[in-house]
Amino acid sequence: MLLQILVSGFVLGCVYGLIALGYSLIYKSSGLMNFVQGDVLTLGAFLGYTFFSVLGMPYWLALICTIAVAFAFGMCMERFVIRKLLSRGVLAIYIVLATIAIQYILQNTIQAIWSTKMLSYPQIFSIPSVKIGGVMVQCESIFCIIMSFLSMFGLQAFMKYTRFGTAMRASAMDAKAAQACGINTSLSTGISWGLAAGMAALAGILLGPIYGVFIMLGSTIGRKGFAAAIMGGYGNMYGAILGGILLGVVETMVAGYLSSTYKDMIAYALLLLFLFVKPTGIFNERAITE
Amino acid sequence: MSRLLELKDFHYSYGNIHVVKGIDLYVDEGEIITLIGANGAGKTTTMQSISGLTAAGGVRGEILFEGKPIQKHSGHEITKRGLCQVLEGRHIFSQLTVLENLETGAYLRKNKKEVRADIQRMYKLFPRLEERKDQMGGTLSGGEQQMLAIARAMVAKPKLLLLDEPSLGLAPLIVKEIFEAIKAIRETGTTILFVEQNSKIALNTADRGYVMQTGEIILHDTCENLMNNEQVQKAYMGVD
Repeated sequence: MLLQILVSGFVLGCVYGLIALGYSLIYKSSGLMNFVQGDVLTLGAFLGYTFFSVLGMPYWLALICTIAVAFAFGMCMERFVIRKLLSRGVLAIYIVLATIAIQYILQNTIQAIWSTKMLSYPQIFSIPSVKIGGVMVQCESIFCIIMSFLSMFGLQAFMKYTRFGTAMRASAMDAKAAQACGINTSLSTGISWGLAAGMAALAGILLGPIYGVFIMLGSTIGRKGFAAAIMGGYGNMYGAILGGILLGVVETMVAGYLSSTYKDMIAYALLLLFLFVKPTGIFNERAITE
Repeated sequence: MSRLLELKDFHYSYGNIHVVKGIDLYVDEGEIITLIGANGAGKTTTMQSISGLTAAGGVRGEILFEGKPIQKHSGHEITKRGLCQVLEGRHIFSQLTVLENLETGAYLRKNKKEVRADIQRMYKLFPRLEERKDQMGGTLSGGEQQMLAIARAMVAKPKLLLLDEPSLGLAPLIVKEIFEAIKAIRETGTTILFVEQNSKIALNTADRGYVMQTGEIILHDTCENLMNNEQVQKAYMGVD
């Protein structure tokens, strides 16, 4: 029982972590919040389904195509909406509202394209599940956890050890100085939004085979991912992952041992508790005062 | 000597506020030029406009670098052409190490070997940076941050180095050290244009100087003449 709960807690937690990472990236690069994240997850799940089971692509190719489309979506959103509003001197709070508007537009578009029916992925792996410690674990769950960790560490390594990653960090810290160093700061902001959307879509295509694909798949996860980002320390990458896993595990534990009626209540009570006791999150990120 | 930088009837406005009102200024290759003047005269706006760091919509007039207009280019493109600025207030990347700060300064350069050699050269000029190379930029003292800001701009290998208020907020001894370094950089053949509130040290360092007041250039001469100018002595050097 415990192991099974832990596995599903980790699956959910990793997905929250991917979404939270996107929130952090965007906060660091633009100082904004992007509430489209959750619906990009939905988009990713639908796109993955289309590439994989409608167009018959191999799963890995469907994965890459999905991420690529979402990346382009994120970059376009930054370039044609966010940056345009910023250059008109619109206040940050209204830009956050604009992301909520885009969220509903995207949700409705997805609905128009794919209908409201629930879709399910065909089996991805030749064996459906493996036995770990005496319990059967779905292969897709293990794959979800592994892929999430790989992409989180991949992103971390990219930001820390590559020339372009360092440049992105530099422009997030001080855009003017980064420009003076010859860094194209608008490009690096755009790439941050693209990466955030790519991570969310990845979460979607990983989660789709486990939860099924439906129009509201991403909306609660998007909000929970935001909560996870705050618990970890808003803007901190490690915090996003840890906050996500913490939230995912707590939520599944509550659902497993108490009742799933209470899981959201307890998850958000945990968020409130963090806001009161440790608003800077686990990783002590001073997002609010900076 | 060829003309490296030239401003022709340059204006800058923030919305309705006209802060730079048609100035002419030039810098020839190999020169070291200073722009002095009181707070709010428009010096920093001028400097940041040259580097493409102000909103381009506010610019009127022409900024020529190596004879080509650059006033429409964005900041990173101007840096690519060989014009680097050390910003007022230093603007160190506080959560990057000293070495990462320097490597970011050399962002556009491809030859890693040359970059490493140039970083070593900067360590020689500012030995304290080498001692602190793994420390986060934000943990350095003000003087060290200024050194790092200068070194970071220099590893980009600029043809023209712009310095905005290098003495700002620093102790007199450190200021002296910074200006020794600026002179040393000039000796290696880099052309320099700098803004400075400390007129005395500025006029002692530069070849020519421009005096700016409420958005206009009111005087332009060799530094020797400016030092002997009564108006300059009264207004900027505290001589009665």
